[in-house]
Amino acid sequence: MDPLWNNIFRKKHDEDSLAYFLNNLPMFAELNGRELNVLEKMVHVRNYGVSEFVFEEGDPGTGMYMIRSGGVSILAKNQQGTDDELALLGPGDFFGETTLTAPAPRSATARTTEQTELIGLFRADLLELVERQPTLTSRILIGLTRIVSERLQTASQEIRNLNKLIGEQLPTEIVET
Amino acid sequence: MKDYQPSRRGWTRGQVLLAFLILTSAIACGLAVYSSATTFIGVTRTAFSVLFLPLLLSLVLAFLLEPPVAKLSNYFNRTSSIFIVYLLVLAIFLVSTLWLLPQWQELWGNLTTDIPRYTAKLTEFLRQLLENLHNRFPVFESYDLPSKVRGWGEQLLAAILTSTPQSAMKVGGLFVIVPLFTFFFLRDGKAIMRALTAMAPNRHFEMAHDLSHLVTRQLGHFVRGRILEAIIIGLVVTLGLSLTDIRYASILGIFAGVTNLIPYIGPIIGMIPGILIAFVDLGVGPQFWWIVILYILIAQVLIDNFILIPILISRVSNLHPLWVFFAIIAGGKLYGVIGMIIGVPIVSIIKIAALEIRTYRRTFRLPETALDTERQY
Repeated sequence: MDPLWNNIFRKKHDEDSLAYFLNNLPMFAELNGRELNVLEKMVHVRNYGVSEFVFEEGDPGTGMYMIRSGGVSILAKNQQGTDDELALLGPGDFFGETTLTAPAPRSATARTTEQTELIGLFRADLLELVERQPTLTSRILIGLTRIVSERLQTASQEIRNLNKLIGEQLPTEIVET
Repeated sequence: MKDYQPSRRGWTRGQVLLAFLILTSAIACGLAVYSSATTFIGVTRTAFSVLFLPLLLSLVLAFLLEPPVAKLSNYFNRTSSIFIVYLLVLAIFLVSTLWLLPQWQELWGNLTTDIPRYTAKLTEFLRQLLENLHNRFPVFESYDLPSKVRGWGEQLLAAILTSTPQSAMKVGGLFVIVPLFTFFFLRDGKAIMRALTAMAPNRHFEMAHDLSHLVTRQLGHFVRGRILEAIIIGLVVTLGLSLTDIRYASILGIFAGVTNLIPYIGPIIGMIPGILIAFVDLGVGPQFWWIVILYILIAQVLIDNFILIPILISRVSNLHPLWVFFAIIAGGKLYGVIGMIIGVPIVSIIKIAALEIRTYRRTFRLPETALDTERQY
């Protein structure tokens, strides 16, 4: 096909567009082109330097971050007061999604490991969107709920396994406490 | 791990905040001293003071028109919904102008005869009162209150006659600028806020973003509540007055509504002209007492205090009377009569923003402090 016409019949979103990136995230996979355009205007693109804090443990948490490029390490304080690395996240990963609907202090610290571009989605914007575009908001929330539920199920399973492990090792002490 | 240590040198957030406050106040003091000496700052200040009022009015208007525009933008795009709302407002404005114009003309025509008449009546009343007083306390003999009041009345008349054409020019200018500004605030307000919060450093961006939303919402409630309250009070007073034979019922109602924007003092100022005119024109009789009751009991106590304030305005934004006086005096000093009206709302707005920030911090501190107290016990 002629390259001039190619441009008109191109795919809905360029591969390096923000909408394309968002569509590839599991929670926004169900959104159509128009909805992605709205979402694109709603999120905030932030650029971080090397080893910059995104947030620290105990900070007010009001939204989630998605990593477009770079890397973020999730840290939590241990009993000695030093930081333990819980996870190292890369492009396409996201974190902080639990505070998007229920505001709470951050339970861990997030710090970039290299030059990083983060996409922030915050509760205030979502609450505003509920009134303007209820359908779109429900779709976003359903996608989000699915992710949170999956994580919750995994966590519950893990707790059950751990309990079983502890129960096998120290049955009497658990009963006493 | 060690390379991260320098960014967290043993300063708690409270200390950082304190240092920040001290620094900013030092800078502010420096600027204040500097500004008195330089013309550059004087020029910018003049430019700002010219823009201040139209900007403020446009913001208020934008807050006021935001809900209908938001409602309409479910059906049309945002720009056309703004235009539809503008047309509606224009229609309401034209209708009320047509209704008010004859009364304004009458008022303007009678002003030169009426104000001396009202002040003469007032001085007469005061003279009788003083004679009574002189008989009991001869000390007051030297103080000539009636002639002072007559002087004030003449000054007031002169001021109104000279400044009305001037202020008409100003108001005419506002009629062009304010709708224009309001249009852009309504259309691009969100984008402007986004651009402003986007300037926040990464570390504080999230909080700045959330707070800007909270403060904007509270401000919207406050502004809409206050304006709606003023409009309702104005309507009630107008309706109540038009039941009597008093002249200028609608203008007195508007005056009562506008002054109602100032807490504590506003309602009193708002009822003075009405009661004065009623006293002079109608004499002390059933109609006069009806007007007094209307102003004080019906408009202020019943409608405003028992119905409107609890519904429209949260107690949170209430200012201490002392702050109200400060705001009125400072506002009057800075921007004259308009400053007196907008001074209190501006201080309330600052208070709302501060409170919102404090509750925000407290909300997120709560789990920690709860844990701390648990540990103590």
